[in-house]
Amino acid sequence: MLFTSLEFFLFLPLVLAVFALLPVRTRWLWLLIASCFFYGVWQPWNLIYLASVTALVIVSGAALGGTKGRGSRILILAAGLTALLGSLVAFKFYDFIATELERLVVPAGVSLPRIGLAAPAGYSFYIFSAASYLVDTYLRRVPFDANFGHSALYIAFFPKILAGPIERATSFLPQVLSGLRSDPGRLLLGLQLIGWGLIKKVVIADNLAPLVDRNFAIAGFAAPLELLISVYFFAFQIYCDFSGYTDIAIGIALLFGIQLMENFRRPYLSRSTAEFWGNRWHISLGRWFRDYLYVPLGGSQAGKLRRYVNLMTVFVVSGLWHAGLGYGVGWTFLIWGALNGVYQWIGLATRPFWRRAGELLPSAAGSLPLHVLRVLITFHLIAIGWIFFRAPSVADALTILRRIGSRLIEMPGLITRYPFTDEHYFGLAAIGFLVVVEVLDERRSIFQRLATAHVAVRWAIYYLAIFALLLLGRWQAKEFIYMQF
Amino acid sequence: MTRLPRSALLFIAIGLAIYAGVYYAAEWLVYRTGKSNPFFKIASTERVEFDWLILGASHAMPLDFADFNTRIERETGLRTINLATPGTGPLYNRFVLENFLREHRIRNLLYVVDSFAFYATEWNEGRFMDAKLLRRTPFKLPIAESLYRYIRYEGVDPRAGLDYLTGFSKINNRERFTIDVWDGEKQFERIYRPSAAAVRSRIEYLYPGSAPSAMLPRYFEAFVKLIERSHAQGICVTAIKMPLTAQFRNQLPNEEAFDNAISALLDVSGVEFRDFSRELDESRFYFDTDHLNRAGLERFLDLHLKSLLTAPCRGK
Repeated sequence: MLFTSLEFFLFLPLVLAVFALLPVRTRWLWLLIASCFFYGVWQPWNLIYLASVTALVIVSGAALGGTKGRGSRILILAAGLTALLGSLVAFKFYDFIATELERLVVPAGVSLPRIGLAAPAGYSFYIFSAASYLVDTYLRRVPFDANFGHSALYIAFFPKILAGPIERATSFLPQVLSGLRSDPGRLLLGLQLIGWGLIKKVVIADNLAPLVDRNFAIAGFAAPLELLISVYFFAFQIYCDFSGYTDIAIGIALLFGIQLMENFRRPYLSRSTAEFWGNRWHISLGRWFRDYLYVPLGGSQAGKLRRYVNLMTVFVVSGLWHAGLGYGVGWTFLIWGALNGVYQWIGLATRPFWRRAGELLPSAAGSLPLHVLRVLITFHLIAIGWIFFRAPSVADALTILRRIGSRLIEMPGLITRYPFTDEHYFGLAAIGFLVVVEVLDERRSIFQRLATAHVAVRWAIYYLAIFALLLLGRWQAKEFIYMQF
Repeated sequence: MTRLPRSALLFIAIGLAIYAGVYYAAEWLVYRTGKSNPFFKIASTERVEFDWLILGASHAMPLDFADFNTRIERETGLRTINLATPGTGPLYNRFVLENFLREHRIRNLLYVVDSFAFYATEWNEGRFMDAKLLRRTPFKLPIAESLYRYIRYEGVDPRAGLDYLTGFSKINNRERFTIDVWDGEKQFERIYRPSAAAVRSRIEYLYPGSAPSAMLPRYFEAFVKLIERSHAQGICVTAIKMPLTAQFRNQLPNEEAFDNAISALLDVSGVEFRDFSRELDESRFYFDTDHLNRAGLERFLDLHLKSLLTAPCRGK
């Protein structure tokens, strides 16, 4: 069920109303039932995947809780993680690997068997939640007084099941255990987040999507300026699509008294790619990789060379995790991950130089023009990466880069002569609006600003938001990009 | 009443008032920018009586492109109105006919038959849900009542009724300031360059799934009801198939079986059926894979349509 569908607008108030009427101690059960309905209503088969993962987590978790020997516990953890992550790899990559092996290695005429099963929506997300649950149980961080139902709700909780945030059991379960209660403040903030998320999704992302889809599909024929615009538009489309989903998810969870973790923090205002990936973009995934991959590999404490290798490993694995995101499984995601890994290498290698430069020119280091310049450079580096992320193939991505690059110097002249359409103007206006809001939000939260604003101003903003959704939203459009994981 | 519920009620009341204003503006724009939508034509036509009503899917639409309906009227001396709608089968066309007959009278109905429109729910029940049609359909209580009946008895999605009542598609119309002209009309003077790929992709679009479809009896029944409704009002019904290029016609799935079935059905129903699909084979008569352009329509008018419209009714 999509957050932007009519069915969901009927489902949510109903779930909320029953939730409010139930005694606090049984509310978790109602949320579990609602979550299963949400996930299985259009694709009942999805529930088999969900039930299997949940059963595996509960059984492995119980075994970990009841076993004392270190060796046995490691074995249980390894078996659980292998089953979880193995299924993810099999569903996502096995058929692709088989195809590539047939193309590159296997003698002609020999065909490898295929699984032919695609992972259901949200599988990557709840597999990562489940894996973190097992590791945290092994480390005895998960509260033992949580029952099986609570654990099942942690995996299946409907606001986050399809596209995160990849919440930790250590944060989620204590909230469930202490009883789910909402209050007017949380309700209001939840509704505000839902509204803002919807604006990002249906007003901004889905209005940018048609132009992006069109031009990425004909990379070899679209005008270079049109390709450049599409790259910029895609950078904001994917941000608004994914962060819009996250805002809605966090907002819905708040309606039920559950605080999910922040997943985006105005990423395009980052001053370095390290800041972008470390603190601002898809934070829950970044922290997952940090805690469950980078740190176990030795992180930054295992020597200089290992640190570089660990960084690249994390970004390449992250690239692979993103493969299959509605744009097919292909080498583009590997390149995207590796490219971002290279950015980290360069950032790490040049860090002493920048630190020294900052010490020599302290006034320049803190100046607004330099700040803006760093933000712009970071944005463009990330946008180059997005070309590989979005393009249907490596060849298409290189075509886009080549065609834009070959006419880059002429772009200012082309812009003055280009026959821009309403679609371009609307996209630019939407992006401009978003940037203004984000800059304001960076200084002080827009929700705090709203809370202290005069009631007339606050209501006027609410009405503008509601009618922007009605008048400008693209409601017949597609599902959230990250839901296709 | 405490402060919070009072504020909430006030907020909702102001919101509804704004919504009403937006709804009114959207409805006003429907009349300002309307052109092709059948319900707009019904609402805006000043005449009450017509000699011919033309119904069908997009193949019938060129008969009303640019000045062509005026030309038909001039050359035949008859009053004609064309309410054909792109991608619509007999169920949607019956809905149009019933609403038209509330305040208008006709003597003859010309129904342009297309096999694709009898195969899939997309072209029948699905069309009631299409935002492109809903956003250009003026609000009228009788239409709402009629829509309710189609939801209750014909399996139309209730969301269509909700959309129509709330005016959501009109309010959300991204083309609210542009005139409602079907894309095909803009190409009316164009000459089609044959393309096998274009034909293939068009056929795939028109025949989703594989024809023949299990839905055929249902839409034959809907068509029979349309005919019976017409006959009950003393309207003479004639069915035709419009000319098509051989390249397009030869790729239509199961067309011969469909022709035989529809001929038998029309014969039993007392409806004259004229198949012109093998006429005007050359691509110069078409603006795309399967729609007549101006030159094609002029030829069709001279060769067949004029005599067909002016001849006495040969059906019931």
